[in-house]
Amino acid sequence: MHKVGSCVSGRYAGLLRQSCCSLGLARFHLGIGAVCQKPAFKQPPAELPMMPPCDFQGEKYKGLSKEGMMKIRKEHCNPVTMNITYYERPIYIYHGYKQWLWDVDGRRYLDLFAGVATVSVGHCNPKVTAAAEKQLKRLWHTTNIYVHPTLHEYCEKLASNLPDPLKVIYLTNSGTEANDLAMLMARLYTGNYEIITFRGSYHGGSQQTMGLTSNSSYKYPIATSSGCTHVMCPDVFRGLWGGSHCRDSPVQTIRECNCAPGQCMAKDQYIGQLNEAFATSLPSRIAAFFAEPIQGMGGATQYPKNYLKEAYKLVRERGGICIADEVQTGFGRTGTHFWGFQGHEVMPDMVTMAKGIGNGFPMGAVVTTPEIAASFGKAFHFNTFGGSPIACAVGSSVIDTIKEEGLQQNSHDVGTYMLTELAKLRNKHEIIGDVRGKGLQIGVEMVKDKVLSSAILLRVLWSIYERFLHNVHFSVSVSSPPQVFRIQPPMCITREDADFFLAVFDRAIKNYMDRH
Amino acid sequence: MKRFIRCMRFHDPGMSKERMMEIRRQYCNPMTMKVTYYKKPVFIHQGHMQWLWDVDGRRYLDLFAGVATVSVGHCHPKVTAAAEHQLKRLWHTTSIYVYPPLHEYCEKLASYFPDPLKVIYLTNSGSEANDLAMLMARLHTGNFDILTFRGSYHGGSPQTMGLTSNAAYKYPIANGLGCTNTMCPDVFRGPWGGSHCRDSPVQTIRDCGCAQGHCMANEQYIGQLKETFATSVPSRIAAFFGEPIQGVGGAVQYPKNYLKEAYKLVRERGGVCIADEVQTGFGRTGTHFWGFQGHDVIPDMVTMAKGIGNGFPMGAVVTTPEIAASFAKGVHFNTFGGNPVACAIASSVLDTIKEDGAQQISLDVGTYLMTELAKFRDKYEIIGDVRGKGLQIGVEMVKDKVSRDPLPAEAMGEIFEDVKDMGVLIGKGGVYGQTFRIKPPMCITREDADFFLAVFNKSIKNYMDRR
Repeated sequence: MHKVGSCVSGRYAGLLRQSCCSLGLARFHLGIGAVCQKPAFKQPPAELPMMPPCDFQGEKYKGLSKEGMMKIRKEHCNPVTMNITYYERPIYIYHGYKQWLWDVDGRRYLDLFAGVATVSVGHCNPKVTAAAEKQLKRLWHTTNIYVHPTLHEYCEKLASNLPDPLKVIYLTNSGTEANDLAMLMARLYTGNYEIITFRGSYHGGSQQTMGLTSNSSYKYPIATSSGCTHVMCPDVFRGLWGGSHCRDSPVQTIRECNCAPGQCMAKDQYIGQLNEAFATSLPSRIAAFFAEPIQGMGGATQYPKNYLKEAYKLVRERGGICIADEVQTGFGRTGTHFWGFQGHEVMPDMVTMAKGIGNGFPMGAVVTTPEIAASFGKAFHFNTFGGSPIACAVGSSVIDTIKEEGLQQNSHDVGTYMLTELAKLRNKHEIIGDVRGKGLQIGVEMVKDKVLSSAILLRVLWSIYERFLHNVHFSVSVSSPPQVFRIQPPMCITREDADFFLAVFDRAIKNYMDRH
Repeated sequence: MKRFIRCMRFHDPGMSKERMMEIRRQYCNPMTMKVTYYKKPVFIHQGHMQWLWDVDGRRYLDLFAGVATVSVGHCHPKVTAAAEHQLKRLWHTTSIYVYPPLHEYCEKLASYFPDPLKVIYLTNSGSEANDLAMLMARLHTGNFDILTFRGSYHGGSPQTMGLTSNAAYKYPIANGLGCTNTMCPDVFRGPWGGSHCRDSPVQTIRDCGCAQGHCMANEQYIGQLKETFATSVPSRIAAFFGEPIQGVGGAVQYPKNYLKEAYKLVRERGGVCIADEVQTGFGRTGTHFWGFQGHDVIPDMVTMAKGIGNGFPMGAVVTTPEIAASFAKGVHFNTFGGNPVACAIASSVLDTIKEDGAQQISLDVGTYLMTELAKFRDKYEIIGDVRGKGLQIGVEMVKDKVSRDPLPAEAMGEIFEDVKDMGVLIGKGGVYGQTFRIKPPMCITREDADFFLAVFNKSIKNYMDRR
């Protein structure tokens, strides 16, 4: 993550800070304990967006000071922890509830990033918390040397949310562990070695999955990525080819094309690039192709509609298996389907998942066919914590909650609304180059100008970003150009929340444009 | 069999055993069935401290703690309370934001380490921690080759599989680049060993003519290490990983000064020394908080997991500021690592270990257990070795004491099942599956130990009678 020496300066920031105080923040400091933000004072200036109310009551913070935390962070935490900490002035979060986060000063934030698309059903969701607490009183951990009921309840439930023949589950503790295992299983099953991923992809941080990941920031200069090849990402906004109806998204790019209905020149070209990789970089038999249905770290990059379908066919012709990395897109986030791959009308041979699977509980899974799973039996694999009673109880409750609270439909509704409104902002502001995504997997790519589509200066981006700090926050993708704001909220946000964000975003861009 | 603890409320498990097995075969990767212990598996659904209950309400004394993981006891009330408190507050944000529990925990954990081991990175498992340790060692030194002992276990990820030296856990696939094994200085089973090699209440049955302060076995094994240096690895290496007492390998122990000398040789070749405390950490060895302290060494890096969170998925790499700085030249993101719940739980585990006196219990009950087990070793021909420290105990079974050949798997299975049927859960390990592993929650009592000894004695006797 690049740390830039920008600061929140200028008249606007001062005004904002001042207004925030008068927006009812003072309530926190009266020591009532309530963190409701219904304004206790007269209405703020009409132009500043109003944060939707929240009636959750939390405790007042009593603990380490911010300075104390920073001192420990610098002394006892590996410096990479500081590398990834957002903002010139970090946020000190203490408390969460649904789509809200509170800092140690009692200031409330609308969380539109969900700890990287992980808090799927909302911070401290009461149902999931209750399920966790129930299990914590019963049994935490035994490993699979014994048989415990929760594992089976969960596997049966998870399997019922996947199409045949994807029915055989192995539980891990993270997405990286799941992808690591997926690589191993693919190579064991096929007897081949090479694995393909897209440029701009992210599949994990272990030494081996680092080879799959195609983002320089996350790569170390070390000899570990053998057998991994990256192919051109079929990015219809930033890539060489793209048009006006390529994507499975409510919003298309600003590019034009002459493609007749049912045709997609961009897709043909990108498949051509894939074929070229097959003819040059890879042997005739490969192990696997990994793809995120919509890129996560890459900034919600989407491919032409039938790309994956054709790519899967080509991969299988060469003996490879197709793996859908649903770490970010899974569990209803894309709105139209439970899994991102379903939106592409493909059937992978293996699916990996993590992040939202446990609403923040460390958990991941590899789901595959009985045939591929069988090849794993050539030796022993033991994952101490994987599939523990608490993980399974939490995972099970998350699936129930997604269904009971209609979160997939909510992702679809609020997400589509947000995308269409953001598209209007794109048309309004020169520096918004692209709006894309599906459901609540959204990316907003910023540019210097629409003609050249060249990446906006990092400094500028951070400047806009830091100004949001006081009201709402969302995340910037860590990739070097393109620069993308990523919006991946807990799937319980409302239209009201979306309106608040849109107002803030519009205002921030406007302020930036006014100054330049 | 002891009476039920009256205050425990027994919960209805719900699913039947048959249905569980059906789902296990249909929806769980076949590996899950492969690692399941016993001909007639145990269907566990409830736990409290050192006790587990199966779905029929039958109680077991758990002397394996989910592989040395349930460090302070199943559903320990203090740790559970800490977890619940945090679950109502904040589960997860990642370290893109700053939150108090991470810092409270890191400060606390760091205080348990000697300088300069002060810089912490939290992960979700031991495999993740060791994977990172490999990466950090290679980055820092600029070298590539890593050494481990035969019989070691360091993880199941494709990279850590290269470190792990146990064929059962290795897949026929291209991995392990840059990983080399060296002879395990196993003073019981290895070519050399004597009567006062080990830092343990119990020594081997082997004889030696070593004078005070000398250890012929140590010299020989260091000789083997030097031969590895002269042949299998280049003159500059990245690291040496060693478990202070082997875990999966069956509580194998080395001669007392081996690690000290090995560390010196590794450092002369530019390598960093990594102590894998995944099983030995958190007071389990009794005399010290960390296993490496019992060897009188200071590693450059320490990895840990399992007992760190009493069963919550968590791991850590602790190292020096210099080594950490090399890592920070890039960006590494672990989504779940160091989350507020993990930190709150782990913090409570550290407090609980202190408050409950778990380390002292490990020393007392563990030493007692081993000295009693040594009497069984003297009594029964098929018990070849008793070893370990604190509550990291191994009992190696043999066909006979002269050959020291491993007791066959079938015989091991019979005794293992018998012990379970009499109400005690222990583990198995060793490269040939020939070692019983005893690694209880560090809250067991002498009474519990006596119960196990009686059960073990009976099961060996039963086996011998049947032969």
